[in-house]
Amino acid sequence: MAAFSTLLKSFVRNANLVKNGAAVSNNLLRPNTSTALEAVRKMSGHEMMHIKPSRWSWNRFKDLLNFYVMLGVIPATVVITYINLFIGPAKLAEIPEGYVPEVHEYYAHPITRWMTKHVKKSYQQEYEVMCQHIYETDYARKLRLAEKRVHQKMQEKQDSQAYYYEPVTGRNERHIKSMLERSVENVGTR
Amino acid sequence: MEDPPRAPAHNPFFRFVHAVQNTIDRPVTWFRESVVTPNRPDHVYYHQKFRRVPTIDQCYTDDPVCRFEAQQQFNRDKLVDGEIVQLVRQRLKECIAYEIPDQDRKCAKLKEEFDKVSESFCMKYADLGPYNNVKDAYMKQKHRMLWERRHGKVGTGMKNEDEPL
Repeated sequence: MAAFSTLLKSFVRNANLVKNGAAVSNNLLRPNTSTALEAVRKMSGHEMMHIKPSRWSWNRFKDLLNFYVMLGVIPATVVITYINLFIGPAKLAEIPEGYVPEVHEYYAHPITRWMTKHVKKSYQQEYEVMCQHIYETDYARKLRLAEKRVHQKMQEKQDSQAYYYEPVTGRNERHIKSMLERSVENVGTR
Repeated sequence: MEDPPRAPAHNPFFRFVHAVQNTIDRPVTWFRESVVTPNRPDHVYYHQKFRRVPTIDQCYTDDPVCRFEAQQQFNRDKLVDGEIVQLVRQRLKECIAYEIPDQDRKCAKLKEEFDKVSESFCMKYADLGPYNNVKDAYMKQKHRMLWERRHGKVGTGMKNEDEPL
């Protein structure tokens, strides 16, 4: 994609810059050249080779920058222009009786509507999920508080053997046992 | 949002000005009306209406779900009330901009309305700090009512502390 740099090259090639072989003040750069040699050198009448540092990297950078920026800008512009022209924003209307609108029908612009329908979680969904989360954590907290109060009472009164009872289920032990049996089948030993 | 039609100008200067405006306006309007508008589907959108849930003063103290719902309702009400204040303020500003230098006389009613609306907004929502909290707003109301019981309506001055209630 040499588009950008070739556009500029044609303007730059004809400009009177040092890199294009314009005259340099010889008093500063080459004080020891004689005027006669210089005059002979310039007598060829052909195009001379311009000795200058390479601008290849800079040109390539410009080309790549242009390419990758346009790769995003052009499709986005086309799509957004099409949507704004031919689909267009919705008009405001009263909610009809007995009708519960979908979440995406609360927004005007078609892109916002699409995102609400396919990408985003609705306000109601997040709200209800939060309510459930609060309820569950509050339930767990109340259970823990009650357990703490029971333990405190047992410590105070010291009249219950339940303090020494460890609540253990056999579920984990059964699982470990079945794993052991399976490994015996596979490997041969425990 | 269609603009109202312009009155025809008989004055040659205004005819010229309208002609210059039409060089850009006519093609654009033609394009929109013939190419764009017929191809658009008719879709509508609505404004969401939220159900009222119990407010913070109707919630039990150990019910955090009720408190969460009251907080969300408080946030929504704050937005709505803020917009109401904005509308009233905008009306006052437009009146002042239009009626200057007579604005004191002509916009007095609107100014009174704006003062009342902003006062009630500030009574409910202001001076609570950056993190709004429905419980803080409720406590603010409680403190204001206690203060009013002791000293009379807000704005009538404080009574002496040594006097009995």
